[in-house]
Amino acid sequence: MREKNIIRLAILVFWTFFWGLSVMDKIIPDVHCLWVGKDFYALFVKFFGSLGLKNPIFATIALASISAIEVLNFVFYLLAGFNFLRGDEAQTQKWFFRAIFSSMTLFALFSIGDQVFGDRFQLLEHGLFWIVLVASWIVFNFVANIEDKPIMLNGSKSVILVGVVMTIFISFSIKSFSSRTLSNIDSPVMGIEVVDGVYKFDFPFLADKIVWEKTINNFKKEHPELKINYIYTGPGELNSKKKTHMLLYVFTEAV
Amino acid sequence: MFNVIDKIIGGSVFLWVGRDRFAQFQKFFASAGLDSPIIADAALIVAAGLEVFAFVLFAGALLHFMKNRIETSRSWFFLGIVFTLVIFTIFSIGDHIFGDRFELLEHTLFWFITLISWVVYNRLEGVEGENLGIERKQKLGAVAVALFLVIVTSVSVFDYNENFFHRRTSALETEMVGENLYKISFPFLGGSIVFEKSLAKFKEENPNLRIIQLYTVPNPLRLKKADSLIFYIVTEEKS
Repeated sequence: MREKNIIRLAILVFWTFFWGLSVMDKIIPDVHCLWVGKDFYALFVKFFGSLGLKNPIFATIALASISAIEVLNFVFYLLAGFNFLRGDEAQTQKWFFRAIFSSMTLFALFSIGDQVFGDRFQLLEHGLFWIVLVASWIVFNFVANIEDKPIMLNGSKSVILVGVVMTIFISFSIKSFSSRTLSNIDSPVMGIEVVDGVYKFDFPFLADKIVWEKTINNFKKEHPELKINYIYTGPGELNSKKKTHMLLYVFTEAV
Repeated sequence: MFNVIDKIIGGSVFLWVGRDRFAQFQKFFASAGLDSPIIADAALIVAAGLEVFAFVLFAGALLHFMKNRIETSRSWFFLGIVFTLVIFTIFSIGDHIFGDRFELLEHTLFWFITLISWVVYNRLEGVEGENLGIERKQKLGAVAVALFLVIVTSVSVFDYNENFFHRRTSALETEMVGENLYKISFPFLGGSIVFEKSLAKFKEENPNLRIIQLYTVPNPLRLKKADSLIFYIVTEEKS
């Protein structure tokens, strides 16, 4: 495959998966095995609720309409990809333009919604997706005009060798790190008494609610002489940047 | 390269914080019902393998570029770009599956930057080199202004360090704002040490009081960036 076709294929694959999975996310509304996704229904209900439109029919209609446009986007990209693989340049261009145009329309609608609902972060997010779409269209057309040059890979064997050796080395490193830290998934965290009667627990990144429960139960078992008065979750400002996942303080007094 | 180093190191060590990708992958897969660490390990190894090849290809492109082998450099760069696009496409698919919209935006932006890098690289091939020389008078003026500003900035930074670094470790004063209600306002430098020392100081100064609750002021109640962490201590008399 020629250089420009690889770039064009990369663009088509990215956006086909993007919209295909967005549609899938609407079809699978909840968390299931092998699929977490995002609960857009809850998001829409909350958005419309904040406008004073409490009836769920508004959110349902809006979500169904958005999903319909997403389905259109997906089908347009799929057809552009199909024609691209068939080598039909004219049909590819036509479908790709329709796909880009309908995707831009959707992000424009999202942006209007973000303004109405006052969500500035989502406005930034949708604005960025919109500009990436415009740029994808420009690049898709730009590559048509560039001269295809032969790919000269002197020393490709050494690239593969270095890559494979480094990957093997990293694999061992990852395996060793995961074996060393996996116990953090269900091991209780040990507390340190930082102030008289106040214990600090520095939770690792792998810890979750199970670790929290085990930590408290273990602490109570180890300190039958103490009564827990209060548990305080340290806010993010207390963490040393990325080093600490969560700080927990347990306030106690003698029984 | 630093992505590869981050995978080799894994966790946080002296002079490297990085990101615990194993924990992130493990949590992602566990949320999708795949608890076994083998799956997280395998996914991380595949991602790391792709990153290794992208790194090797870009490093090769740079090496050939330095040796003025422009066409070979271009080929290596192109393959590096293809690997990078594949990586970010896979990551984006993962973001959809795991429902992480922020990471989806992040990966789409990186995908976009990769694509644009390739376009810029190609566009620059036909651009004529311009004379970037500057007039001597203007050069001297720029050096003088820059030097002056560097000195002023450095003096200010060192002065701030000299006078305010103690905020990183010093205990804070509590302010009584109501009956059995005390407020502690943190400086931006304050961390867990300040928190702990402040609590110790409060307990030492108020031996007759029992802390029954700490309340952290949520962001909507703070004055934007002017307020750092603020928390209230709710107490009662010891019986």
